[in-house]
Amino acid sequence: MTLAERLAAYLTRTSGEPIAVENLARISGGASRETYRFDAVTGGARQGRILRRDPPGSLIETDRRLEFLAIRSFAGKGVAAPEALVLEEEGAELERPFFIMGRVEGGAAASPFDPDPYGVHADAIGERFFGILGTIAAQPLDGLPILEAAARPAPEDCWRRELDYWSGVIEADEQHPQPIVRAAIRRLKRDPPPPSARVAVIHGDYRSGNFLHDGAGAILAVLDWEMAHLGDPLEDLAWAMDPLWSPPGGGRISGMVTRDEALTIWGRASGMAIDPAALAWWSLFASVKAQAIWTSSAKAWRDGGFTEPILALSGW
Amino acid sequence: MTPSLPDILIGQCAALAMPLPPEAGGDYAAGRLGILIMLAALAAQEAERGVAARVWENQALRALFAKAAQTYDGELGGRLAAAGAGVADDLSWSALDGANADLRRLLIALHEAAEDRRDQALDREILAFYRRMAHERRLELPTMMGG
Repeated sequence: MTLAERLAAYLTRTSGEPIAVENLARISGGASRETYRFDAVTGGARQGRILRRDPPGSLIETDRRLEFLAIRSFAGKGVAAPEALVLEEEGAELERPFFIMGRVEGGAAASPFDPDPYGVHADAIGERFFGILGTIAAQPLDGLPILEAAARPAPEDCWRRELDYWSGVIEADEQHPQPIVRAAIRRLKRDPPPPSARVAVIHGDYRSGNFLHDGAGAILAVLDWEMAHLGDPLEDLAWAMDPLWSPPGGGRISGMVTRDEALTIWGRASGMAIDPAALAWWSLFASVKAQAIWTSSAKAWRDGGFTEPILALSGW
Repeated sequence: MTPSLPDILIGQCAALAMPLPPEAGGDYAAGRLGILIMLAALAAQEAERGVAARVWENQALRALFAKAAQTYDGELGGRLAAAGAGVADDLSWSALDGANADLRRLLIALHEAAEDRRDQALDREILAFYRRMAHERRLELPTMMGG
């Protein structure tokens, strides 16, 4: 059976009514999961859907559940979270775990290689981008679905938990010694930030390229919640502002707004004051985390038989 | 940085030889081809500069260790002196990378020792070395995708 036929069999069995799958096509992006778009057709009605399926040999089972619950946590909360519909952790007809989301039509993600990704709408996108991130930081945790799967750290433990996790990834996956990132990790341990002013949902990969925009200044969907967790909101802010995502020489964060404007927008939406020293700590941490992701990508590329070139590009 | 050029080229062969299922055509296949093209462009840079960068880094590390061996004694001092006296006579990618891995592990140990001793002069020297090392190993992304 083809993947489309197996997916149709799953949807038909679990919904109790015949559902056909049409126009199934893999889409780029999301190196840690296979992502497909498809139409679910039943009784003459056609609904756009996105399938996120674990790759072969995936070991990150908790991440899948966390991603689904994080998206569901923000349904209707004004942060352009997609609609989380189905979580299948056993794999069933698709043989590997997956989840299904509603498809957001009419948007595009910015290319990281585009020197002016938002054009005349850069200010509007920046206002919305950092406003959404501040809104995520402001969301009270009580009652959120993500609490079913995410550990809630004490404010003084947020930095240590993240640093331990990502330095552990480097330790486990490193093929060649990297003295620079080792020095950065030691520096972060020597000079930790103050306790988090608030423990909140962290998107984990909130940046340019991980949202859909309409080309006219509106953000339609915030994507790639697979590294979501609970922690210090400055972690997300520092990651979003990392120079890695910004076109060179433009002076605008990710080609959107200036650094000062970004901090003002985020501060207004989150209701939080920004400690410059703490933000500096999380900025250096963002570089360590990026290096860990690339190191992990290189390992996944080798372990997967060198067949996914996006992992090679990330890991090189 | 960590995949070697031979690994990258083997990966190009593997990716191009692997048939894609029907649902992975269209935009996905085009995007995948774009990444393979970008990897080929980066591989050209690495082919031009990679050996020179490794030879420079290994020689510079040996010189740094020979100098540090004069002030750092004990077990670390012995390792520094031995590494500082090393020579490179095999310029294959695998030999250069193998030697570089050993030298980098020793650099990590030396930097940790410098930090523990609050040896600010050596700390600054190593930080400057990191900047040069990153520059020599740089890969410049070509502007061939997107706008």
